[in-house]
Amino acid sequence: MTQSGDIALVNVTKRFGTTVAVENLNLHLPHGSYCCLLGPSGCGKTTILRLIAGHETPTAGDVRIGGASVVGLPPVQRGTAMMFQNYALFPHLTVLDNVAFHLKMRGVGKTERRRRAYDMLTRVQLDPFVARMPAQLSGGQQQRVALARALITNPRVLLLDEPLSALDEFLRLQMRGELRRLQQELGITFIHVTHTQLEAIAVAEIVVVMDQGRIAQAGPDPEIYTLPRNAYVARFMGGHNVLNGTVTAATHGMATLASASGERYAVLLPPQTITVDDAVCCSIRRDRIAVTKAPPGQAARPTEPNAIGGTVHAIEYQGAYVKVTIQRPGHEDIVAHVADSDFFTQHLDIGNRVVARWAAEDVHLLETEHGCKTGRAVVDQPYGWACDMPAM
Amino acid sequence: MQLRHGTDKRPWTFYVLAAFFTLFVSFLYGPMCAIYLLSFQGPNGGLTFPMHGVSLQWFAALFAQHRTGDFAGSFLRSILLAVLVLGITVALSVMAGLAFRRRFVGATLVFYLAIASLIMPGLLVGLGIGLMCQLVGLQPAWYTSALGAQLTWTLPFGLLIMFAVLSRFNRFYEEAARDLGASAWQTFAHVVLPILLPGIIAVALFGFTLSYDEFARTLLTVGPSNTLPLEIWAMTTNITSPALYALGTLTTVVSFVVIAAALTALAVLQHRRAQRRPHAAVTR
Repeated sequence: MTQSGDIALVNVTKRFGTTVAVENLNLHLPHGSYCCLLGPSGCGKTTILRLIAGHETPTAGDVRIGGASVVGLPPVQRGTAMMFQNYALFPHLTVLDNVAFHLKMRGVGKTERRRRAYDMLTRVQLDPFVARMPAQLSGGQQQRVALARALITNPRVLLLDEPLSALDEFLRLQMRGELRRLQQELGITFIHVTHTQLEAIAVAEIVVVMDQGRIAQAGPDPEIYTLPRNAYVARFMGGHNVLNGTVTAATHGMATLASASGERYAVLLPPQTITVDDAVCCSIRRDRIAVTKAPPGQAARPTEPNAIGGTVHAIEYQGAYVKVTIQRPGHEDIVAHVADSDFFTQHLDIGNRVVARWAAEDVHLLETEHGCKTGRAVVDQPYGWACDMPAM
Repeated sequence: MQLRHGTDKRPWTFYVLAAFFTLFVSFLYGPMCAIYLLSFQGPNGGLTFPMHGVSLQWFAALFAQHRTGDFAGSFLRSILLAVLVLGITVALSVMAGLAFRRRFVGATLVFYLAIASLIMPGLLVGLGIGLMCQLVGLQPAWYTSALGAQLTWTLPFGLLIMFAVLSRFNRFYEEAARDLGASAWQTFAHVVLPILLPGIIAVALFGFTLSYDEFARTLLTVGPSNTLPLEIWAMTTNITSPALYALGTLTTVVSFVVIAAALTALAVLQHRRAQRRPHAAVTR
């Protein structure tokens, strides 16, 4: 067994009866990376984790760890260890014996295995609790036991199934940082399944966004957040407004789109990828939208491009910024994150007529559902993302 | 305890249930207490109150075979048979319960066939087994045909209990064990069995008491040597002394001892789990 935790899923399909959980999926994760599988429930992310762990067998395709196929091998021979969503601590064993379980199965003597389990528990700061039963621990402590129990197998890949979902908000933020630190310390591959967008981009180097058994987008975390590939990713990641339009002009690196109701959007783009009459989607980050009160008596619709008129529908104070929801009849709401200083100088209130504006540079073109033209040169690449990033 | 205020008055259903329960308890324990008392009847006393002195002589009479029938032998047979039934019921119920977790072809049919024997009249099951023994020329005996007849009663019970126990057993435990390098057998021995143990003790207790008490299925399959319930039945027709009551007292004591043993086993198990301390070498 090589020590490389380099993972490749090659054309992997998994069906349960007639249900397709994962469809023809390709994914490559380099050794020592921290990857988050992100998606709504039922998107296949846990199935991928279980396929890598060896708790499921692919219907078709190959799973490779360190370059060698591991299909059919039990978890320990794969060099993987899994932390289960509910931790699955053995209720009849003490914390110490839970952690020593793997060594016991391998026939390591009692004194030796308990010493090593104790060392591992010291590492996760649980040494005062070695004699407790799992039921006597808090959720956060149980999670550390599960972590210690997985790490004692000395894995090259650690698989974490929704590791933080059972914790309260405070512990979640704390454990998030600890997981990241632990991963860098150990230098092994971590694969972390979550349905929380902020958790994924906070903790991972590589984020894989899943949609119904397929990879919607995979890439480094800032890219996933700022450059979503399509409307699904933009909407799922949040923080974006998605707009639809038809191209009316495309010249000199600048295209003009018109929405169904006649609003005009100006977009920067390489001109060869788009032609007049194409239907396109684009996204604008919420924090790149400026909101100003509409001057009284002016026409309802601004005539300049990249400006939209509407009515303030909701205001949520978020601390550093204020979330302003702008309603437009017959359209999706626009959400703007207005810096608190701007917000309070303007005295915005619910029901005010406002104009939302943004710069052409901040408009990001999306692939449409029909595979139409896009601003980014990734159209013909198959789903999946070949990573050539150096291991951190 | 203080009386509650008017708004907290107990509903009338409380009093109905309390009255019913009082009736139930006195109906259950009243006659039995009379039997226990009368079993200590003096040497010249009869089958009814009043007591004429106190003695243990009716207990002694039980063990004099020529007078009261083969009490000691039938008691021993019943205990042995109950232990046999217990062992087979536990082994098969656990295995069947685990097997039923995987859906296999015909699982529902097999399940209903097994459960059906709970509904069939016990006497008829016994009669059928007795007839079959005759057909194939097998001499019925308590350790063959009666054992089989009793299993038709205890196995479905054991299976049902295992279903209830396993419905609360989380599959993740097995996957976690596998993930940590345990073989299938190690997973069973070190994870599944210990977690299911309280439920398995319940199956054992049921297996034992159902067998120890069994009458209808055993009656026509027991062969020449009786089990205890059959022996008691025979005695009631030909003994007219308080020895009959002594018999009742003694069998009750055995039942209580078995239940106490099972409960003690459970308590010891829980105590050991709670008290388990790690090895001295690592506790500094």
